[in-house]
Amino acid sequence: MSILEVKNLSVQYHTGQGRKKALDKVSFSVEKGEIAGIVGESGSGKSTAMLAVMGLLGNSAEVSSDGITVCERPVKPGHDIAMILQDSLNCLDPTVKVGRQITETIRAHRKCTRKEARERAEELLDMAGIRAPKLRMGQYPFELSGGMRQRAAIAIALACEPRVIIADEPTTALDAAVQVQILHLLKRIVEDTGTSLLVVSHDMGVIAALCSRVYVMRSGQIIEHGTAEEIFYAPVHEYTKKLLKDTKGNKDLPPDVREEPPLLRMEHVTKVFGTEEGVRDVSLEIRAGEVYALAGESGSGKTTLARILTGVLPPDSGAIWYKGERLDGRGGKKAWNGKIQMVFQDSYGSLNPCLTVGQALSEALRMQGGKDRLTPAKRRRRVEEMLCMAGLSPKDADRYPDEFSGGERQRIGIARALIPEPELLICDEAFSALDASTRKQILKLLLSIQKTRKIACLFISHDLSLIRQVSSRISVLCRGRMAETGETKAVCSDPWHPYTKMLLNSVLPPDPLKAGKIRPVLAEENGRETDSGNGCPFAVSCGYAMECCFEGTPELYRFGSRETACFLYSEEHTGKRADDYRMTSQI
Amino acid sequence: MIAYTLKRLATGIVSLFVLATVTFFLVRLIPGSPFQNGGVSTQVVEAVEEEYGLKEPLLDQYLTYMGNLVQGDLGVSYQEPDTTVAEIIGRTWPVTASLGLVALLASVFLGTGLGILKAVSKKKAVREGIAAGGMLLAGIPNFAAAILLLLVFSVKLRWFPSAGLLTPAHYVLPMISLMIYPMAVISRLTGNTLASEMGKQYVLFARAKGLGKGRILFTHALKNAWIPVLNYVGPVSAFLLTGSFVVESIFTIPGLGREFVSSITNRDYTLILGLTVFMGTVVILVNLVTDLVCTWMDPRMRRAYSGK
Repeated sequence: MSILEVKNLSVQYHTGQGRKKALDKVSFSVEKGEIAGIVGESGSGKSTAMLAVMGLLGNSAEVSSDGITVCERPVKPGHDIAMILQDSLNCLDPTVKVGRQITETIRAHRKCTRKEARERAEELLDMAGIRAPKLRMGQYPFELSGGMRQRAAIAIALACEPRVIIADEPTTALDAAVQVQILHLLKRIVEDTGTSLLVVSHDMGVIAALCSRVYVMRSGQIIEHGTAEEIFYAPVHEYTKKLLKDTKGNKDLPPDVREEPPLLRMEHVTKVFGTEEGVRDVSLEIRAGEVYALAGESGSGKTTLARILTGVLPPDSGAIWYKGERLDGRGGKKAWNGKIQMVFQDSYGSLNPCLTVGQALSEALRMQGGKDRLTPAKRRRRVEEMLCMAGLSPKDADRYPDEFSGGERQRIGIARALIPEPELLICDEAFSALDASTRKQILKLLLSIQKTRKIACLFISHDLSLIRQVSSRISVLCRGRMAETGETKAVCSDPWHPYTKMLLNSVLPPDPLKAGKIRPVLAEENGRETDSGNGCPFAVSCGYAMECCFEGTPELYRFGSRETACFLYSEEHTGKRADDYRMTSQI
Repeated sequence: MIAYTLKRLATGIVSLFVLATVTFFLVRLIPGSPFQNGGVSTQVVEAVEEEYGLKEPLLDQYLTYMGNLVQGDLGVSYQEPDTTVAEIIGRTWPVTASLGLVALLASVFLGTGLGILKAVSKKKAVREGIAAGGMLLAGIPNFAAAILLLLVFSVKLRWFPSAGLLTPAHYVLPMISLMIYPMAVISRLTGNTLASEMGKQYVLFARAKGLGKGRILFTHALKNAWIPVLNYVGPVSAFLLTGSFVVESIFTIPGLGREFVSSITNRDYTLILGLTVFMGTVVILVNLVTDLVCTWMDPRMRRAYSGK
């Protein structure tokens, strides 16, 4: 018997321009105790379908179907069916304590005293893997970490005592390691409680890790469905094949730049805001024409580092050299002179909505200033050339940012960064918000421009599978400190630092056999606190932590072209080595 | 939080000092003497001015006044030499404040209620009616409303008395003319912020977890929607509590506003200054309280100030 049964669900939106079809006769079902998945790119109508199932679409939507049933009864939100949303920060009320948001759910479903509800809420939080539930109940959503908030949301969903849970992009906003934890938790909940789960995601890896049956959705229609094995190993539809291919990515070999002179060098740069954030004692060197990657989770200081490099933020201490010229951060702007440009993650937020694309681009060109100021006509020609190069049409110069799709806007972002002819391009998570196939196209474009023009590129991302494809060298940042540096190929195939290993192990391959085996690799927090500023930043969640890891900060130990900041590689902590010893991974 | 409050109080005192200084010199720019009166001869006026110390250099007068002000002495009124300015405030402010408080409460409750209706009503007529009505009412100046109300309900229909503030019935018309504008603005603000809160993810999630409509509206959405509204209510309550010159004059209410107008026509320097300083204090305190309440309502700010 199907727990959730949806037959011929259609949705139309009434917009200012008339009707827009969002869903066209979509049918799917979820069996008892199974995990089913719906996969599709953004705009395919996945979320609309889920909201329509829950009966939560707004007034502008017209829903028709031959029946949406949960346990053969019409759907009533919160009764037998619960939902988890992507954005755990915004889906919890910011001004109400977490505990109360759970107890009110419990009390909405069964009559019980406040005390009973509180006890039940603590149980649920414990079930969702939150330690010290009593403490968390009294906190507000903003005081919890992203993973913890998503656990609280799961606890709320469980408070409905559901027969089926719909999880709409449950881990998209989370770090890779936390994502694995949450996926694992969802799996365990399905096993323990016997509830069914419907996972909606754009990420083939997430679907592969959880689902036994998969529906593929595209422009409001389900185009293929089958068991996970069928979909991943023997896809029939062309679109599914393309989706899988785009996820796996292409192996473009990064250019060999070992001989090139260093373009930018930073030494022992520190920038601290308050106590936790920022970067501490970071050194790196980018050579002309190379693709250098900076990896790390949210809060690891990647963006701070990018801002220091562009001169937006002055460092507290440390030095930056650009082509052998020292920049002190404050007077540095002149010396950079537009030679370092940036592509941002938020393509919409980084374009002024009141300027046409042409205006935005020629503004970037004007900023160069100096003697070689161009006439407006010449500037216009450059703008049009640049747009063509970025894969847009010259006519797009007169349009406004909101007339473009996300992918096109990111192309504009790239055009704007490239038009002053920079020598270093910083891409700060520039591709994270894009769908796999769009990302692939734009990445290809960027790399070909990078190669022909010999622009060095600092590629900042949390996504190691992406970094692996594009970069020649990599630095891994862990909570503001450098954890490991080396050639990308070597680091990714044989990580030395436990943190790098954890990051690599959290990458979900689009393959049910491999992804299904992934276990949370983050060691249970060993309950110890490092003295603030002292100790390895990863020590609290490192499975290899030794006593010394809590007491002192490891320096960077250098072996050939690799560096790692871990006591496992130090002689004083893990024993003396012979002079001709060749260092290998100690983990 | 305490440090913040103290800092705000300190800046408030500085503002009051500037306010008193500017007013002191501006008042002297009004042509004529406080004691000039049709039949009084120049010699008498000059003699009285001498007695009140108005012949001394302006700077000395200023220093004397500020010295007294610091000790809490607002001086005596020139028109009523037997009463001090503090006594006049003590007599007139309760009248103004009681009317202002009633108008404030009425506009907040009615405005919020209408705003909620505007945001959640399923009937298009109700939503658009409130929006249009709010726009219309916000466009009526309070003197026009006051005169209109006076003509219709007091002169023509004789439902309510027209002057003074003796019985509850006396309150009705001035209260309505005072509250129209703030009510319209509050309903529009609440309607807009509530509508945007209702579109947020946490409301969607609350609906998904099966909460009732009332609970979602009152414990979740309204709480968040009210924080920006409160930022408007603060200054409005300061405005209402210090009295409207126009409304008090039209309904002949013996309040602070009317006293202020007559003090200016009489060039009653000490009274003008005293009333200005008093109203400034009320405005600054009310705004401080508003900011503190806003901070307290947002747990992020609360935690940031309490340093946890």
